Amino acid sequence: MTRRSPVRASFFAVGALLTLVSLSAGLAVNAQQQISKRYPGGKNIRVELRNISGTIVVESWNKNEIRLSATIESKNAHVEPRQINDCLMVDVMGDNRGRGDIGDINFKVQVPPNSSVDVETRRGNISVANVRSGLVRAYVSSEGDITLTNISATHVVAQNVIGDIFFDGEFSSGGTYEFKSTKGNITIRIPGDSAFRLVAASPTKQIKLNDFWNNGFKTQDGRKYVGDVGDGRSSVSVTNFSGSITFLRR
Amino acid sequence: MNCEQCQELIHDLVDGQISQRDEFTLNTHLRECLDCDSVRQDLAAIVTFCQSHRGEYQGPPNEQALWLRIRNVIEAENGTRKPVQKESGNPSFVSRWLNHTWQLSLPQLAASTAAIILLVSLATVVGVRRWGTEGVRTAPAPLEASNTSVNDRVFQRTQAINYWNQRVEMNKARWSPEMRETFDRNMRVIDEAVTNSLNDLNRNPHDEVSEQMLNESLNDKLALLKEFSDL
Repeated sequence: MTRRSPVRASFFAVGALLTLVSLSAGLAVNAQQQISKRYPGGKNIRVELRNISGTIVVESWNKNEIRLSATIESKNAHVEPRQINDCLMVDVMGDNRGRGDIGDINFKVQVPPNSSVDVETRRGNISVANVRSGLVRAYVSSEGDITLTNISATHVVAQNVIGDIFFDGEFSSGGTYEFKSTKGNITIRIPGDSAFRLVAASPTKQIKLNDFWNNGFKTQDGRKYVGDVGDGRSSVSVTNFSGSITFLRR
Repeated sequence: MNCEQCQELIHDLVDGQISQRDEFTLNTHLRECLDCDSVRQDLAAIVTFCQSHRGEYQGPPNEQALWLRIRNVIEAENGTRKPVQKESGNPSFVSRWLNHTWQLSLPQLAASTAAIILLVSLATVVGVRRWGTEGVRTAPAPLEASNTSVNDRVFQRTQAINYWNQRVEMNKARWSPEMRETFDRNMRVIDEAVTNSLNDLNRNPHDEVSEQMLNESLNDKLALLKEFSDL
């Protein structure tokens, strides 16, 4: 009968330990749920998503249908999207009431370009891209960056407490645009020929209108600006408590 | 009897206020005219439904005015020009005036238009002088009660904030540590905005920007508490 040397035995033990660790890590990864569902589109598609914690990415694609993908951190979490006529609704809060902490749920939603988008989360980043519709609303109850890229919508709302807000798009005639943050930088990038009525307020006096400044603006010692750019066809309101407000030419 | 006369009498018939002679004439017409008979059946069905559901719905504030408008619309669609208040023996001046058909010549129309434009312009000028303010105007404050002092409004908001704060504290233990940290961090940021606005207002009690910021930050605080009280 041969006896294993202590060195070989210790190698064997370390190897077994490593195998166990990698196996348990693999199991933890598998605990995440992935869902991916497709929904038929209609004429006036609207997506409403209420998340608790996690990122939301919405982008358009060239198909007349909606694809909803989600990575769900906890196996206790439930996501039950509902489609009513042309409206797809996902209410994580409602679906998981009484389940305690359900961790992060990260969403990716692909929509036809003319879809109205109304998304919110208690915590996490929101990104909406390439949407041309009646409404884009991105609301973060607490902290999370909001990035709206290549947006052409009649009504836009972007609001958070902590985090940056970036808007890149167009202001439609007769549209309303509201951007609000308590602590973060707000950057608005629009075409040079944009026409809008602006009310911008920042108590820390960090308002930079750049190319959109004109002598018609009235100001209260740099903390608030009110005035028209062009013929003031749309209405823009920007409020930031302790960050900057910057207008850039597209 | 023609259809127009018939449909006037149908109302009286359904209301049970028709004379025997009219009823006989009407019934004769209804037997011959399917359209009018259909109108009678519809109206009778509506009245029966309303009678059987009496008290289940709240009436509009001015029921008589509503009925007048409905009848006006129906009569306008039918092309009739009968006065609306047939059952009322002595129509009011307003109803007579409203139901009067105005036929204006071109000069009269032009003079009326000019008079309206003049009146609107005068009202605008007076309004701007009376209520217009110089300088920057702030957005309407979300906190109502414009006559109350800032302290009163803060006190009112604080009451609501305390209520929601208690609800949040009850549920906070269920949250993950990350969620608690997030909430506390955001609450501190909003509290800082509230404090800064209050300090600015103490330095300059009539500062519109500070007042707007105070209102908005208090509203944001309330919104944050409400959102997180659900978790």
